[in-house]
Amino acid sequence: MTQPMVSLRGLYKIFGAKDKDMVQFVKDGMSKDDLLAQHKHVLGLNDINVDMQAGEITVVMGLSGSGKSTLIRHLNRLIEPTAGEILIQGEDVMKLSDDDLRTARQQKMSMVFQKFALLPHKTVLKNAGMPLSVRGQDEAACDTEATKWLERVGLKGYENHHPAQLSGGMQQRVGIARALTANTDIMLMDEAFSALDPLIRTDMQDLLLELQKELHKTIVFITHDLDEALKLADHLVILKDGYVVQQGEPQHILLNPNDPYIEDFVSDINRARVLRVRSIMTHLEDGKIPADAHGEVDIDATLESMIAKSGGDTSHAYIVMRDGEAVGTLDMTALVRALVPRAAPEDGARNY
Amino acid sequence: MAFYEKIFSALGLKDWCGEAGDGAPLSMADLMAQANGGDAAANGPVFPFPSLDNLNESCATVLQSRDVTKGIENGFLAAKPALKSVLDPITQPLSWMLDGALWLFEVTPWFIMIPILVAISWYASRSKGVTIFVAVSIFLLGLVDHYDVAMQTLSIIFVCTTISVLLGVPIGIAMSKSDNLQRATVPVLDLLQTLPTFVYLIPLIFLFSVTESKLYGIAIILYAIVPVIRLTDLGIRLVDQDVIEAANAFGMNNRQKLLRVQLPLALPNIMAGINQTIMMSLAMVVIASLVSAPGLGVNVLRGIRNLELGVGIVAGIGIVLLAVILDRVSKAALSRVDMTRVKH
Repeated sequence: MTQPMVSLRGLYKIFGAKDKDMVQFVKDGMSKDDLLAQHKHVLGLNDINVDMQAGEITVVMGLSGSGKSTLIRHLNRLIEPTAGEILIQGEDVMKLSDDDLRTARQQKMSMVFQKFALLPHKTVLKNAGMPLSVRGQDEAACDTEATKWLERVGLKGYENHHPAQLSGGMQQRVGIARALTANTDIMLMDEAFSALDPLIRTDMQDLLLELQKELHKTIVFITHDLDEALKLADHLVILKDGYVVQQGEPQHILLNPNDPYIEDFVSDINRARVLRVRSIMTHLEDGKIPADAHGEVDIDATLESMIAKSGGDTSHAYIVMRDGEAVGTLDMTALVRALVPRAAPEDGARNY
Repeated sequence: MAFYEKIFSALGLKDWCGEAGDGAPLSMADLMAQANGGDAAANGPVFPFPSLDNLNESCATVLQSRDVTKGIENGFLAAKPALKSVLDPITQPLSWMLDGALWLFEVTPWFIMIPILVAISWYASRSKGVTIFVAVSIFLLGLVDHYDVAMQTLSIIFVCTTISVLLGVPIGIAMSKSDNLQRATVPVLDLLQTLPTFVYLIPLIFLFSVTESKLYGIAIILYAIVPVIRLTDLGIRLVDQDVIEAANAFGMNNRQKLLRVQLPLALPNIMAGINQTIMMSLAMVVIASLVSAPGLGVNVLRGIRNLELGVGIVAGIGIVLLAVILDRVSKAALSRVDMTRVKH
C-alpha cells in the first residue's frame, strides 16, 4: 500500500486548562461525561487513527458535538492537538515552525468553510485569487488563475460582484474556486454544503464529484448528513463523542454496521439507491459464466436500477460487467436480502 | 475644646501631637467664624466627622485638608522642570503644525478656499445635498463676517483630528491585539473622557506658556482621541471570526491579516470613531479659547464676558453650522464605506 496523504496517529484533543494531564485519564478509559463531571475538561477527540489516501474523498461524519469540525481543524493546526501525530505525506505537522506551518497552509492545504468566510469588501475575483496573492504572486497572475477556476465552478460573468450580491450557493462556489485556485493537493471541506438548501446542495455535490474526477485531490469532507456522506465518500469515518465508531468503504459499513449507533443511522436511508451491484455480487470463479443469466449489468449500477431492470422478478440473475469484462454474477434474491437492514431498530427509539 | 482631643489623650498621643492646633493656618470657615465673633469649634456639630481639619484642631501634627491640595500642587511644580524638558521638545511640532495650518487657512483667499472645501465634501460624501449644504453654510458664515474665525476653528480641528487619528488608530490596533493592554488603557480613556474639560487645562497651563498653540492643541487631542481609540479596538475585535479563521487557513501572516482583513472590515467602526473625534474636538475648541485658541470660541467667550448676547449667539450658531457640516460629511463618507460591502 502506498503512503497515505494524511494520517492521524493516536490523536487526542481535550479542551481545558490542564489538558495534558487529562490524556492519561482518557487513555485509562474515562468517558467524556465523567471527564467533564470530575475534572471539568471537555473531551474533543479520543484516540483518532485515520489514514486518508491520495486522490480519495474521505468523509468524516457525525452528529453535532461528535468532534468532526475539531478533527478537520487539526489537519492544518487551526486547533492544536493535546497528544498524537498528524502526518502529511509522512511529515509531522506538529514539528513545523510557525513559518513552515504558514507555508504548508498556503501550499499544501486549502479549506472550504460552512459559512463561506469570504472577504466581504473584495470582489469575487479577488476573493478567488486570495490564496495566490497571500503567497505574494502578482495581481495579474492571481486574476488569471482566479478567472479560470471561477469559470470552472460556473461563475463566469460574476467576477466583479461582491459576495453579498450572490446567493448562498454561488458564494460557496466562490469558496470552492478559492480553494481550487490555491492549487493544493489537499482540500479540507468543513460542512461545506450544510448551509445550502437541498436542491443547491445536490448541485454542489455533483460539481464536487465532477471536479474530483478530473483533479484527483485528496479531499477531507465533513458532514452530518449520511446521504451526502454515502454519495461522496471513498472512505467513510463515523465519529461519535470524539472517537471513531467505524471506518471503511461506505457500502461495507452500510452492509456490516458494527455498532447500534450506526445501525440506527443507516436504517433510515434508501438502501436501494445507495447500494451498488459491486457490494453484493458473487465473484466469478474460474471465469465460468452462468448460462441462465438474463442480461449484463454494470458493476456500479445501483440496486434501484436493478429492480427496475428485472421488473421485480426475484428469480432473475445477471452477469456483472466491469469495463466490458465479466467479473461476477448477481442473484436478485441476494439483492432483495441486502435491502433489509441487518437489525431493525426497536420501535424506532434512538438512545444516543 | 476640640472633640477628638480626649481620644488622642486616651491613646497616649498627646506628646506626639504637641500643642493643640493654634499654630496651623486657619481655614476660610474658621476665619469667617472668628470674624463673626464666635468660636468655630463651639458652634460645630456634637460629633464631627473625623476629617483632617477636625482632627487637626485636636492634634496639630495631623495634616490639614489644604495640605493635600497644596501637596499636589507642590509635587506637580517639583516635577514640572523634568516634565517640561521632556514634553516641550516632543510637542513642539504640534505648535508648528497648528500655527502652520492657521497661517495656511488664513492666507488662502476665500475664492480658492471655499471651492476646495466644497470639492472635499463632494469627494468624501458623493452627495449633492450635503455638498450644497456645505456651500450654503460657509456662504452664510462669510455673510456675517465670521468666515475668518470659522476658518481658524476649522484649521485647529483639521490638525487635531489628523493627529488624533494618526495616534489613535495604532493605539486601538495594539489594544485589540492584547487583552492586557486593553485592561490597562480603558481606565485611562475613561478618565480622559470624564475628567471635566477645564481640569486638564490647569496642569497644561503650568507646563506650557499660554501663548503657545500646543497648549490648546494638547487639550483638544487628549479629549478627542478617545473615541477613535475605542472604536478601532472594538471594530477589530468584532471582525467575523470565520473570516479570520479563513485568513489563517490560507496561511496569512499577521501583517497580511491586519491589512487585508481586519482593518478593512473594521473600517466602518473606525470611521464612526473619527466622526466622534471630529465632534469632540469641535466641542473642545470652544473651551480651549479660554487658553488663547483662536476661532469662533473667542466670540462665544466675548459674548459671555461682556454679556453681548448677539455676538455670543451668532458665534454659537456658527459653531453649530460647522458641527453639522463636519458631521454630515463624515457620516456620508462612513455610509459610503459601508455601501461598498453590501451593494444590492
